[in-house]
Amino acid sequence: MTFEPQVCAFACNWCGYSAADQAGAAKLEYPAGVKIVRLMCTGMMDPYYVLRAFERGFDGVLIIGCHIGSCHYGTGNVQARDEMARVSGVLNALGLGQGRLLVDAASASEGPRFAKLANEFVERVRKLGPSPLREVIAQ
Amino acid sequence: MTEPATKRRIGVFICHCGGNISDVVDIEALRRSAATHDDVALATDSRFMCSNEGQGQLQKEIREKGLDGVVVACCTPKMYEDLFREKAEEAGMNPYLLEIANIREQCSYAHRHEPAKATAKAKLIVKAQVEKVRKLRPLEVKTAPIQPGVAVIGGGIAGIHASILLANLGHKVTLIEKSPTIGGNMARSVKTFPTDDCAMCTLSPKMNEAYNHRNIELLTYAEVRDAARSPGKWTLTVEKKPRYVTDACIGCDRCTERCPVSTAKSPIQVDSEWDQGLAKRKAIYIPFSQALPQLWTIDADHCFYFQRNRACRVCQMVCPAKAIDFTMKPETLTVDVGAVIVATGYKEYDPTPLAHLGYGRHPDILTQMQFARMMDAVGPTHGEIVRRSDGNPADTIVMVQCVGSRGAPGDPNVHEYCSRVCCMVAVKHAQLIKKARPETEVYILYNDLRAYGKGFEEYYARSMELGVKYVRGLPGKVHPHRGKLLVDVDDMLTGRRLGLPADLVVLSAALEPNPIDGLLASLHLDKTADGFVKEYHAKINPTETAVKGVFVAGCAQGPKDITDTISQAGAAAMSAAVFLGSGEMTLNPVVAEVDPALCRACDRCTEVCGFDAVHVDPERLIAIVDETACTGCGKCAVVCPTDAIAVRQFTKPQIVASIDALAPMAVAP
Repeated sequence: MTFEPQVCAFACNWCGYSAADQAGAAKLEYPAGVKIVRLMCTGMMDPYYVLRAFERGFDGVLIIGCHIGSCHYGTGNVQARDEMARVSGVLNALGLGQGRLLVDAASASEGPRFAKLANEFVERVRKLGPSPLREVIAQ
Repeated sequence: MTEPATKRRIGVFICHCGGNISDVVDIEALRRSAATHDDVALATDSRFMCSNEGQGQLQKEIREKGLDGVVVACCTPKMYEDLFREKAEEAGMNPYLLEIANIREQCSYAHRHEPAKATAKAKLIVKAQVEKVRKLRPLEVKTAPIQPGVAVIGGGIAGIHASILLANLGHKVTLIEKSPTIGGNMARSVKTFPTDDCAMCTLSPKMNEAYNHRNIELLTYAEVRDAARSPGKWTLTVEKKPRYVTDACIGCDRCTERCPVSTAKSPIQVDSEWDQGLAKRKAIYIPFSQALPQLWTIDADHCFYFQRNRACRVCQMVCPAKAIDFTMKPETLTVDVGAVIVATGYKEYDPTPLAHLGYGRHPDILTQMQFARMMDAVGPTHGEIVRRSDGNPADTIVMVQCVGSRGAPGDPNVHEYCSRVCCMVAVKHAQLIKKARPETEVYILYNDLRAYGKGFEEYYARSMELGVKYVRGLPGKVHPHRGKLLVDVDDMLTGRRLGLPADLVVLSAALEPNPIDGLLASLHLDKTADGFVKEYHAKINPTETAVKGVFVAGCAQGPKDITDTISQAGAAAMSAAVFLGSGEMTLNPVVAEVDPALCRACDRCTEVCGFDAVHVDPERLIAIVDETACTGCGKCAVVCPTDAIAVRQFTKPQIVASIDALAPMAVAP
């Protein structure tokens, strides 16, 4: 069976989630392995959610908020960026590598950008192969 | 923050969306899958959930099945979440127990060529929302009455205009101005572009309207010292500085005539704020003849009575109205309002740090605002355009653009932004010179000439017809030379180096925000990187701020001309009126909540909060959320070391439930 990367995408209500809606409305396609969790702001993105997603077998975690300077709440996306920089070190230590986590941005009107980010990230994860944690979980 | 443990009755309603969903997703398979989830009491479908029929079905099932949770699988929640929640509430269910499963934009649309995968994904999306609903608690929407009344801070054209509009709508307005008169920078501007209207002729009627309006209380020579926020209400502490002149003042001006300050022999000299330092003023004064209120003011910092141990009482002696009262004390007032408009305006940038331009070292180097005073018929030179060094007519005038504006990023001496108005101010002043004395040579040294507004390009073109000369290039140096000022500039269009001998050099200095850091802190407002008040959204919400009930108007928000200031002040007044007019404020329940049992008062949440919405109670030693201020961004929840604070509807267990439901692999608990 071919490997279909499973990606947990966290999107903020104002930008990332709206961009995903816009991508869909424009009939832009990306793999169905991308599952979206809506947050009000990426500022509420707890490093624990990244670990939880990998622990439950996701192959990659994508976080899409507002562009820096455009956060609905000011600096939630800055906090997200900093928190995720911390957790990427943990992912390295776990042998997952940094490539499986991406923090990026797409404004509410950037549907094409969302689709591009989703497609590119899935391809990146596809190259990395299934998450090494999957085998551990299966045991 | 405990999650409900009891059995729930959740209804899942799946929408075909005509075919937008059902052409891709196998609705029956999705329905059967949804029915198997824990706590699901009902799984059904509808051709259009948003239709009257679909809404009726939703309400009927809630009533008949006694549902205490609903998942509507349909389009994005941005479309109908509000509608479905309203309908659920009408049917007797708490609206916050309803969630949308987005199986259209984020499923059937995005994966329309892969129906099997789309169906599998839709099943997980529905499951994730069912799992989330299982963890939701009913939320209560609280309201707070909004205090009637609005405070407008700043009595320039922005504040005056906003005050009049609100007062005309029947709102009680307190207009607070720190200087002795309203009028602001516009009053000094002499003429306005692009019509060359007399500034005071257009401003003065509005000043009078504000001054006489029965719904406007004017507090001049007054400053906001503090602001306290409670739900729906701001309590401002306003200090009225003592004028040492009572309301008995009849405006005869005898005191000013006799005041010894700023006379030739006086050791105390005061620069006139009104004339931008081109003239002196007395210690007892009225800023300008049309000032409102028409009350004289003693400047205690420069008065012999206060500065020389009561050495002088001349004003008191000559006053026929007995209006001088040296015993006046500062007065502290409390103003309760529901809304605040910040209209604190701008000040002109001081070009002294730009040594190559020589400002402050030679009397014939002025700013545009100083030059405006020189062109005022009632100004320091009675409208004569002269060299300040010797009083002789100025035959050649060189204006320099972008002084303090459009500087290199990171240069602490200048601003990175464009001040927007300086191009047109220079064009205006150049034309006025040409009209008054056509033989005068006028040069404008510019970087880019920005004539962006209605009528501006035509205005600019007219100045060229009048003979104003434009040189593309900014000067390398301005220095005294043979009784004139020599302006060295490379003309970028011809490649030639010019040395222009000038009688006056006029610097188009940047607009910068008035220093109001204390006020901003009291109102919990932020600044943008340029130092101006941060608006809620730079593009689509430029009059509101991140703080509910606080609005921003005019140059406090960023440089703008009078036309734009009037437009934006009107918009700010409208925003405030809508807010006040609702009478009560609905508090969003999807905000942070603290579990007192877990909070250790470590202050991490208060450090990261961008809205000053959480504080540690020093007695109970727990964090307290101000629900009127919290926006529900959830930064606090991430930094909390004990998971004591979380945003309702987005708690850790609720988000984890969604992640787990969407995940490819289950883990035995």
